[in-house]
Amino acid sequence: MTLIELAARNVLRNKVRTLLTVAGVAVAVLTFLLLRTVIYSWTAGVDAAATDRLVTRHKVTFVLELPLRYFEDVRMVPGVRVATFANWFGGKDPQHPNDFFQTLAVEPDTFFDVYSEMKLPATELAAFKQNRQGAVVGDVIAAKLGWKVGDRITLESPIFPTPPDQPWTFMVEGIYEATSKAVDRSTVVFHWKYINDAMPEVRKDEIGWVVSRVDDPSRAAEVASAIDRAFETRDTQTMTQDERAFASSFMASFSAVLSALDIVSVGILLIMLLVLGNTIAMGVRERTNEYGVLRALGFSPSHIAGFIVGESLVVGALGGALGLLISYPIVNRGIGNWLEENMGAMFPYFQVTPLLATIAFALALALGLVAAAVPAWGASRLNVTDALRRVA
Amino acid sequence: MTDSTSDGAHSDADLDPANEPRQSGPVERADGAESIVRIRSLVKTYFRGDEPLKVLDQLDLDIPKGSFEALMGPSGSGKSTLLNLIAGLDRPTSGTVVVDGKQIDRMGESQLARWRAATLGFVFQSFNLLPVLTALENVELPLLLAPLRAAERRKRAETALKIVGLEDRVKHYPRQLSGGQEQRVAIARAIVNDPKIIVADEPTGDLDRQSAADVMTLLEKLNQQLGKTIVMVTHDPAAAERASIIRRLDKGILV
Repeated sequence: MTLIELAARNVLRNKVRTLLTVAGVAVAVLTFLLLRTVIYSWTAGVDAAATDRLVTRHKVTFVLELPLRYFEDVRMVPGVRVATFANWFGGKDPQHPNDFFQTLAVEPDTFFDVYSEMKLPATELAAFKQNRQGAVVGDVIAAKLGWKVGDRITLESPIFPTPPDQPWTFMVEGIYEATSKAVDRSTVVFHWKYINDAMPEVRKDEIGWVVSRVDDPSRAAEVASAIDRAFETRDTQTMTQDERAFASSFMASFSAVLSALDIVSVGILLIMLLVLGNTIAMGVRERTNEYGVLRALGFSPSHIAGFIVGESLVVGALGGALGLLISYPIVNRGIGNWLEENMGAMFPYFQVTPLLATIAFALALALGLVAAAVPAWGASRLNVTDALRRVA
Repeated sequence: MTDSTSDGAHSDADLDPANEPRQSGPVERADGAESIVRIRSLVKTYFRGDEPLKVLDQLDLDIPKGSFEALMGPSGSGKSTLLNLIAGLDRPTSGTVVVDGKQIDRMGESQLARWRAATLGFVFQSFNLLPVLTALENVELPLLLAPLRAAERRKRAETALKIVGLEDRVKHYPRQLSGGQEQRVAIARAIVNDPKIIVADEPTGDLDRQSAADVMTLLEKLNQQLGKTIVMVTHDPAAAERASIIRRLDKGILV
């Protein structure tokens, strides 16, 4: 037997209580991981945004549209290497009305040059460009809905409505994969011109936003200013931001939700800290007499504190490990897969990262350490004779 | 068996810390006998609220090395307090306590803990074995503090259990032992580190007559055959009969 074994024996003394406490820590760790992954996934697009990509939108709000001619004007601004444009389509597959995925009407010749992290075979890309009704779909949504190259798909859009029996029809010409985890792999893109041609005159030639890549990322701010200056005297002014700022301004509308999730994730740990602290304190109170015996036998106050801290650390470590273990099937496989497939635009990559797992485990240990601090301090200061008189 | 009282008067020089022996080992008394415990002018006062309660009052005591002493007295007479002070579990309000040549009332908590581990063996009324440990592991407990290899610790614990006649109970947990057996395990735990003094607080208090007799026989054997000094607090006249010296306390003074 060793001092560590002695400490470990106490962990298993009250198996039900230990089990429940470990389960409590595990649930707290799981909830923490889940909430932090929501925040991480939600902001991943911002963090992974390209610094050489500029987004030009209506100065008032990105909901308002820009004239098509702005696209050509942006291309002419010095420093812009390549540009494309896109429009929200808001489409849904009438066969799968409950499946949400992002649909964009894009400029087919340049879209995949600007979004080079979306990869598809050259032959598929060429076919897409040539077919006015062609579409390229993400590999995740394709797998989920069973779409293959050559399939005909139909979409309905509240933004671009059609008669009920005449939905928008597209041919899947390509399936893209992503080289960045921040890319939504459930997006469907198709020709803007196909949509535009069907629009009444009053809605023709409107685009959502222009995206451009600059020659030199260090001059991105300068180029953005130049773009906006080009439209300063027009009826519609623009706001050009790098992609990160654009994504951040989009995320700003959810900042209250993110802050709330942040607070809740910390709150859960604090609650668990109190629960664990109470459990450790109960155990210490019950074993006061034993600590008196150990002190009488020659164990020092620091030994007693060490036993209590060790016990709490073991509970924290077991809870942390269990929390991580169950997070894999629940967060990564269950919720993560579902969100990536169904809400890929918001949660393109919903997985517990190794860094987050390490932080969660370290926090579980820290939880054990802090929870034991007060009971250990109290027990180490026990008067031996008082402790020996104490009956559990 | 001899009835004895305190050594009585003492000189100022006895109380001067500068005159306290620094070396480890028993102190030679004026009469030539070696004292393993020497107490001078010991006062212990507790407070109940603001009200002081003097439990030990100017007590002087010498315990010869190798003796088997019983401390008796009515409840509240201060005998357990005296035992705790000799064992370094409590601190005197004033006075000096020298055990095995060390003035323990001046030691810090950690120093006292190390001293207890090396010098003392404890036997409690309620046995106080750890329920999560086997008999062998309970006996091994004090040795965890010594720089010994695991095999050596185990060997010594087995030897101690053999001395108390429980070599066939090494893997039993306290709940699987009778009260008498538990107390014998506790005695094995008390002797496993080869202490100079065994302090026993009502060692037969929770035992039936036969078990109590067996435990006292064992303590006698440890005193007579292994030369251990034993200081025992007891209410039990039959247990006290086994001691070589009986001291009686009443209202904090030896009578």
